[in-house]
Amino acid sequence: MKLSASGRENFYFYLFIMPWLIGFIIFALYPIAASLFYSFTDYDIISSPKFVGLANYQELFQDELFYKSIWVTFKYTIISVPLTLILSLIFAMLINQKIPAKGFFRTAMYFPSMVSGVSMSLLWFWIFNPQIGFFNYILSWFGVKPQLWFLDEHLALWALIIMSFWGMGAGMLIFLAALQGVPASLLEAAKLDGASRWSTFWNVTFPMISPIFLFQLIMAIIESFQVFTPAYVMTQGGPNYSTRFYVYHLYESAFKNFRLGYASAMAWLLLIAVLIITYIIMKTSNHYVYYEGGKES
Amino acid sequence: MKNGRKLWFVMLATSMLLTLFLSACGKGGSSEGSSSDPVTITYYTIDSPDRTFVEKLIPDFESKHPNIKVKVDKAPYEQFDSKLQANIAAKKSPDITSHFGYGGFMEYYNKGLLTDLTDIMKVDNFKASDYGIQDELMNIYKVDGKTYGIPSNNYVTLMLYNKDMFDKAGVSYPPSDYEDKSWTFDKMIEMAKKLTVVSDDITKTQYGVDFGWGELDMRPAYFGAKVYSDDAWTNGGKPSETYFGSPEAIAAYQKWIGLIWDQKVSPPPAFSKAVAGQFGDPFLSGKIGMSVVGSWSLASQKDFNFKVGVAAVPIGGNKDVRSVLYVDPLFVLKDSKHPKEAYEFIKYMLTTEVQEKSIELSGGTPPVNDNAKEKYYNSFEGVDPQVIKQVYEGANKYGVESYNHLISNYSQLNELLINEFQSVQNGDQKVEAALPGIQEKITKLLERLNK
Amino acid sequence: MMNKQLISRGLAFLILIVCTAAMISPIFFMISTSLKTKSEMLLFPPTWIPQSFQWENFKELFTNDEIKFGVLYQNSIIIAVLTVIGTVFSSAVVAYGFSRYRGKGRNLMFMLMISTMMLPYPAIMIPQFLLFSEMNWMDTFLPLIVPAFFGSAYQIFLLRQFFNTLPNELYDSGKIDGASELRMFRSIALPLSGPALATVAIFSFVWSWNDLLAPVLYLNSQEKFTLPIGMAAMISSKFRIAPWNLLMCAAIMAVIPVVALFAVAQKRFTEGIVLTGIK
Repeated sequence: MKLSASGRENFYFYLFIMPWLIGFIIFALYPIAASLFYSFTDYDIISSPKFVGLANYQELFQDELFYKSIWVTFKYTIISVPLTLILSLIFAMLINQKIPAKGFFRTAMYFPSMVSGVSMSLLWFWIFNPQIGFFNYILSWFGVKPQLWFLDEHLALWALIIMSFWGMGAGMLIFLAALQGVPASLLEAAKLDGASRWSTFWNVTFPMISPIFLFQLIMAIIESFQVFTPAYVMTQGGPNYSTRFYVYHLYESAFKNFRLGYASAMAWLLLIAVLIITYIIMKTSNHYVYYEGGKES
Repeated sequence: MKNGRKLWFVMLATSMLLTLFLSACGKGGSSEGSSSDPVTITYYTIDSPDRTFVEKLIPDFESKHPNIKVKVDKAPYEQFDSKLQANIAAKKSPDITSHFGYGGFMEYYNKGLLTDLTDIMKVDNFKASDYGIQDELMNIYKVDGKTYGIPSNNYVTLMLYNKDMFDKAGVSYPPSDYEDKSWTFDKMIEMAKKLTVVSDDITKTQYGVDFGWGELDMRPAYFGAKVYSDDAWTNGGKPSETYFGSPEAIAAYQKWIGLIWDQKVSPPPAFSKAVAGQFGDPFLSGKIGMSVVGSWSLASQKDFNFKVGVAAVPIGGNKDVRSVLYVDPLFVLKDSKHPKEAYEFIKYMLTTEVQEKSIELSGGTPPVNDNAKEKYYNSFEGVDPQVIKQVYEGANKYGVESYNHLISNYSQLNELLINEFQSVQNGDQKVEAALPGIQEKITKLLERLNK
Repeated sequence: MMNKQLISRGLAFLILIVCTAAMISPIFFMISTSLKTKSEMLLFPPTWIPQSFQWENFKELFTNDEIKFGVLYQNSIIIAVLTVIGTVFSSAVVAYGFSRYRGKGRNLMFMLMISTMMLPYPAIMIPQFLLFSEMNWMDTFLPLIVPAFFGSAYQIFLLRQFFNTLPNELYDSGKIDGASELRMFRSIALPLSGPALATVAIFSFVWSWNDLLAPVLYLNSQEKFTLPIGMAAMISSKFRIAPWNLLMCAAIMAVIPVVALFAVAQKRFTEGIVLTGIK
């Protein structure tokens, strides 16, 4: 079979991306559409789905817990993501200096982020133990009374935020690599021009790493919207719903209360929220993200 | 480059073979053979040693019933109900279970999850007396004259106490006689005060009493308050009204929470969870003097590293309500493909021999079979069998059936209460401030569920 | 001027020392707790170094019938390894397609693929759950492994970036030899992509190893549980008193493969990040 040159390109292109394309249809496209469908039904798994129109959405918008879970997720995201990102950038810059034992510091700061998932939740659950935990012990050195942490509805989320800082090493590594990609020539030029370190950072370093920064920011926000493990392992969304993350509320609605229609409505709203936020971030990024040689696709 | 290609090919082939192999494993469970092939039934229970002992009975059962194989599936207590529904939804319904989780008989019945056993039992000529089961107990699990569950265990609420702690403090033991009218809730508080030591050093801290009488919605009943309208007991567990916000209920909850924050004789959740973990039992840590708890706790007797005594629950607000009765039935689930075989296993579990063996293997599961009761009373090292008998009979006399068996959609109701009461238990909110809000939420929930 | 630089470097060093100590101390405490006895772990203030090193704790972790740690480990390894094989293989193929061929609709396909990176799993998990339960795959490893064979957006993206760096001239010699497209992929592109593939392998291993939500949804019997589920179960009501020392042992054991992987592949990994992460 003789194909034209472009025909050939077409054929091989689709041949190679076939695995992804098929997977996309089965595991992404179909579920997204199905989620939308189920969100208009009342479905408890045991009996077949009953069409209820917009009832699920109406109920959601009156549900106190729905708003609570949005607030919990929002609060966590807005505090944890920027701070963790900034911390990883700061430490990347600190390590990028000419100091002894760079490798040691890099490994030591990165190591904690390898303790992730359930292991991390268990460890920090133990550390924040109100009576015999490590954190309260260290606080006692500074004369601070033992705190209830995960048993206190005002502190539980903060405990999780503190825990999230501990994992900043992964981002730090990526920023380190990015920093090393900043052309030395540019830095030299800035120094010759007598630029201060602060000015050099803002006008040379940051622009050079801004695409990475943007990417990390978006991925971190999306990940933070999906926090589930700590709620499942440690707090079950409590105390008093103070750690009832959106995805945990979704999970409970679907698999504990067996309201799959209701949970599907929540799923769709999450999808829309992610799309909107990503769009906003990308649009506003034009102000500070610099792409070498013009925009990339 | 030939080696590179070979490697890829091998890896691809291996992973495909593995996937095929695993999928065969997955499908294997659902294949059916001819009627002469052994049939496998699944028994679903709580993941704790005092329930999973059933696994040890399997070899004996299988030798008596060569065409039936038994598998035991388990889940932690707080996940029991949701895992069950997930399994049913995924077409992997177990055959036999009981209401071991939050939810109870009525909930399962109303969701259409139970098989009617009446016909199987008639064909088999089932007589409750053959298994030492009282007729009243059989009636609990009949709806419109049809049997959906057969009682297999008979738990009560009782008081466990730490003899070593009492000895050290020089306090005399609480009574086990339910007819002793001096043994009141206030007397218990007095006793608890003598045992409580609060110190900055957590290893020295101990509390006099941990009052875990029934689930959260039942506690007012102990103090004489009503929370569900009377029609709930006759219409399939759907109360038309609830009274959680009533002054009586508020007073009842205040008395209970007062043990922690006013009388300061009970451990705050921070203490319990620090010492025993999120879902653990602080009594086992040896830091609690008296524990009012379901008699399943007694089954952990091997884990106690102190001397344990058994006593009566003191008189609260209602002299006829001093214990919660948990008559646990075994039922066969609607989606079971082998109801006859499941029924055989249930009968097996009810025989005197097996009920006695169960006591041994579990550490102390109370039998429903009257013939096995003597064995039960004699199973607890260091505790006088007469005392246990006295406490058990007293509890049955002054007991009330657990609400979780009788109220529909109980698991969601209980989940709501557990979540909502956290701030009150932690001392962040006063009972009287929280209950009106809780009442509203319950009303809304029941409206949605029972419509 | 020299002094200023020295001061700032000295300051950086000092800050790093303090912060590193803070970052490492939880790990120290984790190890220390894992070697304590049940009674010592409940002491407060906590002891830094265990009074006696209870190495038996690790043994107990594996022999304890309630935990069945060995089974958990085995299951996690099987699933992770199969996931890695599937992901690496399929992502490489797809990424190569995106990089090398200018098919019609390429940009659209690429945008779609990128957008799935942002697709939150919860948005699709319910229909996927229903789909897998229809196929009777519940309580098997299949729902966790099979999707990996269809490529993962993040890894496809990384690998595409890498393949983009391979100049077209590279394939010219292949064309002259009359090699097929598949042959060129296997014999020219792949051998050069060692570090990039290693990076993808590591990422997907770690992701699968730590995954909690999907296993919770699909695995029901204890013999099939993975490490995350099994470890979370250790603080459920299964244990009347939470065995903190064993929990720390479990956490350590769970982390070891990840650490080992990074240690072994560290060089290739940083190469891979540089090659694929930037631009």
